Amino acid sequence: MKLRIAVEGLGACAGCEIAILDLHEEIVSLLQDLEIDYAPILIDKKSLGDNVDVLLLSGSVRNKHDAEKAARLSEKAKITIALGSCASFGGIPGLANLYATKELLERVYLTTESTENKERVLPSEEIPPLEQVIKPLKEWIKINYNIPGCPPQPKLIKEMFQMLLNGKPITLSKKTVCDECDLKREEKKITKILRWGQGEPDSSRCLLEQNYFCAGPATRAGCEAKCLAALMPCRGCMGPPENVTDQGAKMVSAIASIAAIDEENRVDPEQLATMFKDIVGSLYRFTLPSSIIPRKVSEGENK
Amino acid sequence: MHETFEPYIVGFLCNWCGYAGADLAGTSRIQYPPNLRAIRLMCSGRVDPTFILTALKKGADGVLVVGCHPGDCHYINGNLRTERRVALLKKMLNDLGLDNRRVRLEWISASEGEKFAVVVKEFVEELRALGRNPLEGNTNET
Repeated sequence: MKLRIAVEGLGACAGCEIAILDLHEEIVSLLQDLEIDYAPILIDKKSLGDNVDVLLLSGSVRNKHDAEKAARLSEKAKITIALGSCASFGGIPGLANLYATKELLERVYLTTESTENKERVLPSEEIPPLEQVIKPLKEWIKINYNIPGCPPQPKLIKEMFQMLLNGKPITLSKKTVCDECDLKREEKKITKILRWGQGEPDSSRCLLEQNYFCAGPATRAGCEAKCLAALMPCRGCMGPPENVTDQGAKMVSAIASIAAIDEENRVDPEQLATMFKDIVGSLYRFTLPSSIIPRKVSEGENK
Repeated sequence: MHETFEPYIVGFLCNWCGYAGADLAGTSRIQYPPNLRAIRLMCSGRVDPTFILTALKKGADGVLVVGCHPGDCHYINGNLRTERRVALLKKMLNDLGLDNRRVRLEWISASEGEKFAVVVKEFVEELRALGRNPLEGNTNET
């Protein structure tokens, strides 16, 4: 009997579903053993059948509708997998946790440069209210496995299907992006933090050694360091490596450990910190909701 | 009834300087507030930012990291690593809405028992003025 699959996106961009299609011809041979029962973005079927083996959920729970949908669908599936970084850790939408919902709505509907909203109307009717904070999917429903990546690499999706078909637990790489990166590493000793686009990096050497912020040391491998192959610093979409809960804290550790401390090049610690334009956004780009401090708080709220 | 708020402080003290300094404060019978819970580590360089975040998450109102004076580190430069780690972490905490004075890094040598007591006293006063840690899950009953 074929393995019955369902795919659904919550608050997401549908990139994870497209990543499944990015298996191209390989999907044809996989379909000999798999059957896609329900996947609104890929096939035209309105509801989930019974006896679904595996549910792939992508995206984050942004409103009540998403929360209900996730709960209802996962009830019918034997295995539920969080597909992609949003579902696994909160993802890019998770950075909304740095703002109050009211601030977000006002920015989007009133104050963006391209907005014309003279009556200052905010959406209110027939729309489910936004959740106050973004949480990783595992805090809403029971998740059996996380498949990280923004989007997950098709190779990773293929391996996931193969492990499922063989009845094996899904395992992810225990290494970090640096282990998969082909750039030449010599001695790491940084004196500043550069952002992408500042200057021209040497295309054969480690970007971190050239002072570019790269999240490779604190990011799980499995993506084959494709961004680095194109000389783009790692942004950390695969989330923290094995046994690490807080990606940003690990990255702080990594940067502090390679900042120059010899007499000649010594970087002032305070200055090093100010070289980040947006330190939370850089270090927790995909994982803020699953980090130790998952949202912005304010002094005095617990008085 | 008005009660004074007693801040809960987790202290990470290095074995060679900070902890020895605290020990000296004790053996010299120098009085300082009992709000600090000391954790001895071999080096302040062992303080992973995760430790500090976890302490704050679990309700510590402040975290004190004590290492040797620069140049005196038993492991040559562990304290300088921590200095950078704490600076980055403080910037991050600030952006996450916490007052970064909740995390304090001090250099205290084994002979500075008096300084240790002064630092703890000052820190307790500072945290008292700041109030409770705003993070959820705060179980601040000392």
